[in-house]
Amino acid sequence: MEPITIVVVSLAAGTMLLLAVAMSFVLGWANNAFHVEVDPKIVQCNEVLPGANCGGCGYVGCNEYSEAIVLNGESVTKCPVGGASCAEGLAQIMGVEVEQTWPFKAVVHCAATFSQRLLRNTYHGEQTCAAANVISGIQGCTYGCLGFGDCVEACNFSAIFMKEGVPEVVYDPCTGCGACAEVCPRNIITMVPFKTSEMLVIACSNNDFGAEVKKVCTIGCTGCKACTKANDLFTMEGNLPVLNYDAYDPDAVDFSLALDRCKMESLVWVGVPTAEHIEATKDMEVPDKIEADFKTTVDDTEWRG
Amino acid sequence: MSASPLSTTGPGTFPRGIHPPEAKELSASGKIEVLPTPKEVKIALLQHTGAPCEAIHKPRTEVEAGAMVGSSEAFVSAPVHSPIAGKTAKTCSVTLPNGRHVPAVPIKATGEQLEGDALFEEIFGGEWPTSGLERYSADEIRTATREAGIVGLGGAAFPTHVKFAVNPEKPIDTLLINGCECEPYLNADNRLMIEAPMPMISGTMLAARAIGAEQMVIAIEDNKPEAIAAARKAAEGSPVRIQPVKTKYPMGGEKQLIPAALGRIVPTGGLPLDVGVVVMNVGTATAVARAILRGKPLTHRVVSVSGRGIVSPKNILAPVGATYQELIDLADGLTPDAARVIAGGPMMGFALGELDTPITKGTSGIVVLTEAEVRERNETNCVRCGHCVDVCPLHLVPTRIALASRARNWDLAKRYHMMACMECGCCSYACPAGIPLVQLIRTGKASAPRA
Repeated sequence: MEPITIVVVSLAAGTMLLLAVAMSFVLGWANNAFHVEVDPKIVQCNEVLPGANCGGCGYVGCNEYSEAIVLNGESVTKCPVGGASCAEGLAQIMGVEVEQTWPFKAVVHCAATFSQRLLRNTYHGEQTCAAANVISGIQGCTYGCLGFGDCVEACNFSAIFMKEGVPEVVYDPCTGCGACAEVCPRNIITMVPFKTSEMLVIACSNNDFGAEVKKVCTIGCTGCKACTKANDLFTMEGNLPVLNYDAYDPDAVDFSLALDRCKMESLVWVGVPTAEHIEATKDMEVPDKIEADFKTTVDDTEWRG
Repeated sequence: MSASPLSTTGPGTFPRGIHPPEAKELSASGKIEVLPTPKEVKIALLQHTGAPCEAIHKPRTEVEAGAMVGSSEAFVSAPVHSPIAGKTAKTCSVTLPNGRHVPAVPIKATGEQLEGDALFEEIFGGEWPTSGLERYSADEIRTATREAGIVGLGGAAFPTHVKFAVNPEKPIDTLLINGCECEPYLNADNRLMIEAPMPMISGTMLAARAIGAEQMVIAIEDNKPEAIAAARKAAEGSPVRIQPVKTKYPMGGEKQLIPAALGRIVPTGGLPLDVGVVVMNVGTATAVARAILRGKPLTHRVVSVSGRGIVSPKNILAPVGATYQELIDLADGLTPDAARVIAGGPMMGFALGELDTPITKGTSGIVVLTEAEVRERNETNCVRCGHCVDVCPLHLVPTRIALASRARNWDLAKRYHMMACMECGCCSYACPAGIPLVQLIRTGKASAPRA
């Protein structure tokens, strides 16, 4: 090796070494000078939260929720994904008591399958509920489910699927994030507190008079008020009963009279299936989801035409 | 083309747009027939853009023909009147073709009714002066227009007295009367201009007085030579100018008609009054004349019942609140291969599911298409051919907006001015891939968050 090469190489190596040493001092100084104090509780909370970033708590993501808990004293029970164990963990970190809460889950206020809805017409347009909702005459009922499955599309947890035109919620995976309720153009999905594994739901959204309802649906609520007379938890709002879920006590309430008196099939039980249900349906097959055979994409690139 | 805001004539056309088959010949020569008084009419309490009316009378009240049955305190609203003498019944609800679920007052016909030619004569007959109208003040005309429940009869049903409320910062110098009727099949305005041009001229002059416009122009598409001739004859000796414009869809859109007839350009997101113009339909002008000179409310309108799915296409003078079925029955019913009934024209109308629906003030036509005409189009990928861009009369990029709407990407859709779309349907008509562009854009406009 020629001496000149050795000089050049060692010069270069020396310069790099010098730079590295100088830089490490700069970085070390910056680390101290620009240090941001993060409350260790926020980090701890973050570790307890499931990290689904679903927005079910009302914050943009898990980190924002942690910050809200620690800095603004937000309630520790808002995470629908983590549930009770998560709330307990958060309560331990914050040194507070967990108040009694219930997981909110989606319920569908329409139970009419395609064959039970009347005045249905052929429709060739865009196959989404949002598009069908701005057109009249697809089906007689202007309140009930359209059956194109926007809610199925919106669910990130595979907790809702269409069965003969009505969405059915699978309550085990349902985290209560509310995405389905938000996307439904007819607002027939609401979130209710599940105080037991099975909840009673008024499965109709049609607010018209009984005679009008009968023209468009074979099972719709006619507003006969029988349930309100059978049980105090039902009150009429317009031509539809509403169930007071705040006063709903699973141990004390007996709905059998109301269920008995409902002439239509407007009161249904939903929830996690019991052992008997599983036994009765174990041989059934879950239908495959039907996908459209074309795909149109849209991207964020600017139009340059 | 001069785009100066003070320009008074235009080139007679606008850039872009389409030429769908006109199919006007089906009902063009059919003289307006009067619908026999129905046994019952259902007066929808929301027939216009704006606040809904409240029913005035208790059930089982006797009302005369022309009596007000619903009104509202709100400014952007128009009262509704009974077209027949009869007895009111309990308020029911009806679903209008646009999907709105609204309350309606049913009125059962009782006693003597004005029928047939006598009714036609009562509405359009008699003297319609074009001079001496100075004795009606602008305020009087505005109040009478509101009392008569007049709304835009072109289809959107915007309350006319709201258009008459002048904004001092934006003076109006021109009243443009829209006699284009660019939708295929429809002939309601065409026949009205041919058979009753005089009230239209009087109404134009009265409306111009209400808004303080000096220039009055009636624009008519050149595929209606009879209407142009009739209007010219009626306008002789009056300051109203008849301006023929080229036949093109959507010439009847105000943002297309104003550049074509006057040479002024309405800014995106703006209104005609930004360039000193108010646009009104010919039927509305006629209704204004009747309201001021005769003191009669808007209770009847001309409806074109046409299409190859109708046995004998006709133009019918019908009371508001009669059902679609009754009008179709007068036109001898549907053909065996009738497949789809559309309320309004085929381009912007709404498919109708239930024929037992009452017509409203905004119903300009009923078009029935046959099996062969409504065959399903299979959607394929967008090939970026740009046909929709070539035809969009508002210079938008429909494919981008529609696909952004399908992906629920509202920011992107709004960046492409989704809200400026007037849903004329040119893009869907032109799309070779069969993408329901205008439906996707409509969906987007309905579901995108406001603000």
